[in-house]
Amino acid sequence: MTRTSVVIPVKDGGQLLSDVLEATARERPDELIVVDSGSSDDSVRMAREADATVIEIPPSEFGHGRTRNLAAAKATGDIICFITQDASPVPGWLAAYVDAFERNERIGAAFGQHLSRDDTSPMIARELEGFFAGFNSDGEVTTQASTDEDGWHPGFLSNANAAYRRKVLLEIGFRDLAYSEDQAFAEDLFAAGWLKAYVPAASVVHAHDFPFTQFMRRYFDEYRGLNEAVGHVEAAAPRAAAQTVRSQLAQDVAWMKANEYSVGEQAMWIPRAAAHHGGRHLAAVAGSRANRLPAIVQRAMSLEGRGEERADPARQSAIKTEPVAPLRRTELFSEVLDLEHNGVAELLAPVPGMSEKERLHVAVVIPPFRKGSGGHDTIFRIFRHIEQMGHTVSIWLSDPLGRMHNEWPAVVRKRIREEFVDLDAPVYKGFDDWFGADVALATSWETVYPMLELPGCRARAYFVQDHEPEFFATSAESVWAQNSYRQGLFAICASPWLAEMMRDEYGAQASVFHLGVDAAMYYPRPVPRRRDTIAYYGRATTPRRAVSLGMLALAELNRRRDARIVIYGDPLPPESTFPFENLGIATQEELALLYSEATVGLCLSVTNYSRAPQEMMACGLPCIDLAGFSAESVFGEDGPVELSEFSPVAIADHIERLIDDQELWERRSVKGLDFAAQHSWDAAALEVEQGLRAALRAREQ
Amino acid sequence: MSSEGKAQRAEELATENAVLRGRIAELEVELGEQASRANEAVARLEERVYWLDRWHLDLNSLMKKPGAAQFRALLRAVRAPYRWVVNLSRKRGS
Repeated sequence: MTRTSVVIPVKDGGQLLSDVLEATARERPDELIVVDSGSSDDSVRMAREADATVIEIPPSEFGHGRTRNLAAAKATGDIICFITQDASPVPGWLAAYVDAFERNERIGAAFGQHLSRDDTSPMIARELEGFFAGFNSDGEVTTQASTDEDGWHPGFLSNANAAYRRKVLLEIGFRDLAYSEDQAFAEDLFAAGWLKAYVPAASVVHAHDFPFTQFMRRYFDEYRGLNEAVGHVEAAAPRAAAQTVRSQLAQDVAWMKANEYSVGEQAMWIPRAAAHHGGRHLAAVAGSRANRLPAIVQRAMSLEGRGEERADPARQSAIKTEPVAPLRRTELFSEVLDLEHNGVAELLAPVPGMSEKERLHVAVVIPPFRKGSGGHDTIFRIFRHIEQMGHTVSIWLSDPLGRMHNEWPAVVRKRIREEFVDLDAPVYKGFDDWFGADVALATSWETVYPMLELPGCRARAYFVQDHEPEFFATSAESVWAQNSYRQGLFAICASPWLAEMMRDEYGAQASVFHLGVDAAMYYPRPVPRRRDTIAYYGRATTPRRAVSLGMLALAELNRRRDARIVIYGDPLPPESTFPFENLGIATQEELALLYSEATVGLCLSVTNYSRAPQEMMACGLPCIDLAGFSAESVFGEDGPVELSEFSPVAIADHIERLIDDQELWERRSVKGLDFAAQHSWDAAALEVEQGLRAALRAREQ
Repeated sequence: MSSEGKAQRAEELATENAVLRGRIAELEVELGEQASRANEAVARLEERVYWLDRWHLDLNSLMKKPGAAQFRALLRAVRAPYRWVVNLSRKRGS
């Protein structure tokens, strides 16, 4: 049985409030809450007589979002409805909302129709009718999923008559805005993947029929709120405004005729309607630019009497600032803050022999991905092999910013299988369904923080593919990335260089795995080997590949001799002083052909090594990388890779040596083929499996 | 307790210990199998509901909408004569 709560914020509700309370009581909600912000009339007494729970707050604490959040926190209903003190529910209002929420579990919020009162002015009544008919004129419930979708006002939501699924409201909450907290909520609701429904049967009788000046002041407030919530600024275009006024006036006249207004009544309303539409445009222009007006003018124009500079001295400031409304639902890097609040979850007690268990359950926590991501490709390849060894693998996508929020789990899984490898593992988004694991594995610095909060694990480990603090300038991100290595996680590192760094600089326990080569893709293809071609991995968008240095080296080479230079890795070719050929984002097949045809491969890394040199070697192509970083730890000092100093001249020298010295070229090529043959993804997965077992063993000791 | 009694007690404890360790090992295997089966079931399900997820369709919600049951009944009604015609044409063909 669905429980319902109805919340009515009140201030000096007057006689209309009595009608509203009576109409609400007829709907038989399980709970009625009235939040009174300093009424000087009988509102509180009326609310108590209607058996409402009354929450009294000082007027200074009132905020449309803040106050409703306060009431929502006290409410106990599964569905929480909000109406205003002048909106009377019509019979069947509450039942219609309950029915809509029960029929569709994806609806997070709903709103209903506003009907005009008998004394409502014709231009307001006509607009209300037209506006709500635009959502659906056949009386059926309709849903909206995005503010960008086609259709009638997809971002509309009004707390004068709205209902919310309790868990959604508590999870998202209203922003603390002076106005338009409902419209801002609609944006946040969609961003979180919920639907908004229009429930025509959930109607209220509600029309703001005020005297002219009061109307204008109200519009001023509404447009100021809209500007604060979503940045809307009404265009000040007199000609267009005049056309709009004329068109609305014509619609008003047609509506009055259809509703059998007498000629005299029409003649009386037409001037007022013209003033109303024209005045509204002016109020909208002024309201959406309220922050540019002096506080005294703002107060004079506002029905709420709100000016930018508050009378409260504690809120006054000597400097002029521009208020900025909250625009995000989730703060960037909120997982860091969450961990500080919630703390690290305790690991399960170790069980003797757990590190030698035949079948481990490894929960791999990944960040969002894009097609072609090398880091994700390595993760998925290795864990495909781990699955084939008989272990159970599950993939957990940590996406606090919702970069992949439009892709539901089955779609994410399909993308992994189509764009990377055929993993059998299921994909979970977020951690709501978390059920523990033998080893929980973080795969990037951002995934460490949420992973540390996950309970039910025997061990936690960290799949380290690079030294991530170096991806950032000195910044909070670089420090968080460093701190991610200091969380006591067992590091399974993609090179001895990284493992040494984890041990020496961060005091972590570490094991090593070596990146593999896909031998079915990368092998010497039957194409003639040219003697003049340099294949350069020049991905400028990845600064750790030192593209500025590589381009200088190629410019130096070009100054010395004619050579064919082929650059790949970025869709846009880099700008240079020398001619070259651009292969862009190449397919693996194209790369294998290029490596089989070229004379020298060039791939520079100033952090951990790339997979590219091994793939070049697997095609028999000798390759140059930089000395002094990670390459020696993998390839040795005089191994398959020609190591160069960090100098454009030295790199150009090495390229020339490999072009001119056939004996050196042959030696490097043969060593490279041998090296690549020993570095399969099977072997890499075995090393990672040993690392996972070592993480468990470390817990047994 | 005599030394003989102590030795006997130690032996009993060792036996009990071995039994408990064995039981833990069994439970660990069971837990592993459960995790594996749960993951396989979810993966199978994700394979099946791909297009629903792709189109953001929740059939349970959809079928609760007014008219959904009637639409389904209509489909079933159309299906019966359609199958009859297909079967008939197959029989004639063979």
